[in-house]
Amino acid sequence: MIIAERRPIPEILENIAPYSRVLVLGCRGCVAVCSAGGDREVAILAEAIRLAREREGKPIEVIERTFIRQCDPEYLELLRELVPQVEAIVSLACGVGVNLIADLYPSARVYPGVDTSFYGANVVLGKWIEKCRGCGDCLIDKTAGLCPIARCAKNLLNGPCGGSQGGRCEVRKDMPCVWHMIIERLKERGELERLLEITPPKDWRPAGGDGLRVRVRPDLA
Amino acid sequence: MGEGIKLAILCCNYTNLAEREDLYEVPARLEIKRFPCGGHIEITDILRAFREGAEGVCVCACEQGTCHNGKGNERAEKKVVGARAILQEIGISPERLSFYYVPRLDAEAFVEDVKAFFSKILKEKVEERGK
Repeated sequence: MIIAERRPIPEILENIAPYSRVLVLGCRGCVAVCSAGGDREVAILAEAIRLAREREGKPIEVIERTFIRQCDPEYLELLRELVPQVEAIVSLACGVGVNLIADLYPSARVYPGVDTSFYGANVVLGKWIEKCRGCGDCLIDKTAGLCPIARCAKNLLNGPCGGSQGGRCEVRKDMPCVWHMIIERLKERGELERLLEITPPKDWRPAGGDGLRVRVRPDLA
Repeated sequence: MGEGIKLAILCCNYTNLAEREDLYEVPARLEIKRFPCGGHIEITDILRAFREGAEGVCVCACEQGTCHNGKGNERAEKKVVGARAILQEIGISPERLSFYYVPRLDAEAFVEDVKAFFSKILKEKVEERGK
């Protein structure tokens, strides 16, 4: 899922400083699952904004809503009647939601309430770790399902850098070396020879190096 | 000076049965809000208590290993950690929010914790005035 993290509240307050009626808009997609922008986080941020503004002597009316998703125009249709009622929107969706609101409602002042961080997994309660970088050209079929683009600090394609020690990454000692893991796993399976095939330099165009990425499925479009 | 201070006490209904009269030695305006379990106390409840005028908020939950619902007391403690971070971000001293594990149905221990909390808030207010 897309992992996000609430932006510092002072930054959010600065963005909405001129306004006295705002909407805090959550999303029940990824950001709800990663506890950054669901119903509960909307309620907490709204209450924090009210408290901060009352202490400043500038009370504010905060409307709270959470949509099923903010990355789909059909769900954002619900925003049509709210936009004229508020001076600004703080969206707790990932950047996709904020952008789509900005596209669909040009008159709405929409501000991000979270920083969109990465694609990750919820490994234990309250902890998320990056597993995919969305580079658009998966090579994990060759690496036992473990991604060296997302999980190797140097994005190496043909084996470890030589700097890891005891199976730990030399850049992030709190993280395992993914190439160490790949080699150990392939060795256990008797498939180490798979790594003899040299992977050529990566084409980064599918990762966004060629501009905005668009996917079209002709049988649906 | 203490009489003007408003304190909010958010506690599990089963943590204690103490009422305002048991807390007569605490010279503050006290608001006791009871919840079905410490785990039911949300960060928003804590922030709302501040917004409603409390100068200090004290969250009390059952001692470890005694929560009816398993880990409601531990969840309450974590909510306090989250709320303290938010208070700091918006310029309110996190010391204005405290958490206590309280023995179940032992009003005396609860009263002592509230007294200690009151003293802490009073001291902080005095220090703030001195700045």
